[in-house]
Amino acid sequence: MNARAKSIVGDAREVERAAELIRLGARLQLLESEINLSRERLLRLYKEIQRKSPPKGMLPFSTDWFTAWQPNIHASLFANIYEYLDKSSDLEQIDVVIRAYRLYLEQVGTSGLEPILSITRAWRLVKFVDAGMMCLAPCTRCSGRFVLHSGDLRNRFVCGLCHMPARAGKTAARKARSELIEA
Amino acid sequence: MNPTTTEATSSKLLEEIRETNLAYLMLAQHMIRQERAESLYRLGISGELADMIESLTPGQLLKIAATNLLMCRLRFDEQMVWNLLTGHSRDRSAGTAHAGILMAGKLAEVV
Repeated sequence: MNARAKSIVGDAREVERAAELIRLGARLQLLESEINLSRERLLRLYKEIQRKSPPKGMLPFSTDWFTAWQPNIHASLFANIYEYLDKSSDLEQIDVVIRAYRLYLEQVGTSGLEPILSITRAWRLVKFVDAGMMCLAPCTRCSGRFVLHSGDLRNRFVCGLCHMPARAGKTAARKARSELIEA
Repeated sequence: MNPTTTEATSSKLLEEIRETNLAYLMLAQHMIRQERAESLYRLGISGELADMIESLTPGQLLKIAATNLLMCRLRFDEQMVWNLLTGHSRDRSAGTAHAGILMAGKLAEVV
């Protein structure tokens, strides 16, 4: 255990952080790598807040999810907010992730969209950008900044919102919903 | 318009500006004190300006509010953002999301 976790105040802060992350739906792996508490305590905290055991299995580790049409809009919105908060504050990275994610949820809610980016994915995205695997690049039409693979060509990049694919947003879930309304 | 009406209109206008200024500054101060990092994003202001607003006393707030100028201004001057927000695009939610990305990106450039 390091010095931070030994102090009671520091310990309380870690618990508070972990609790907020769990409330936002974080997977256990996120907590284990960002929070300075034992796995056992994290598990207990998780069960106490979510009233169930954490899901098992690996985290989604692919960068491809972020470049599909709909996820890209959500990921880009989050990434722009994150970047703003990261530049303007001197908080620790995980605290920036928490705040940016809360603002993302809020903004998506006011747009009338379902939040399809989970906090775990949002955190993965931040790590992918840190590792240089993904980046934010401007669309040549609207100059909005969007998440891209770092290796992708950027000089003629047009975002998915300026150039909507024909079937954009027509997911199975939405189709089922509109059929339900019509019926 | 005769001079008395103009005077009445302008004093009513001044009153409204003062009230808007005061409401805006008080809200800004409240937001900064409650959650600083988020407030910078919501307000679109720098950390230095936030520090200054945070330190203002109620008396100072009143003094600043009592002017003939609005202390807050429109943050986005791009026509595209306004078009997206007023919703002439194919998909209303996608339009607002697009505007959100543009606005958040605009903010990041300023900081």
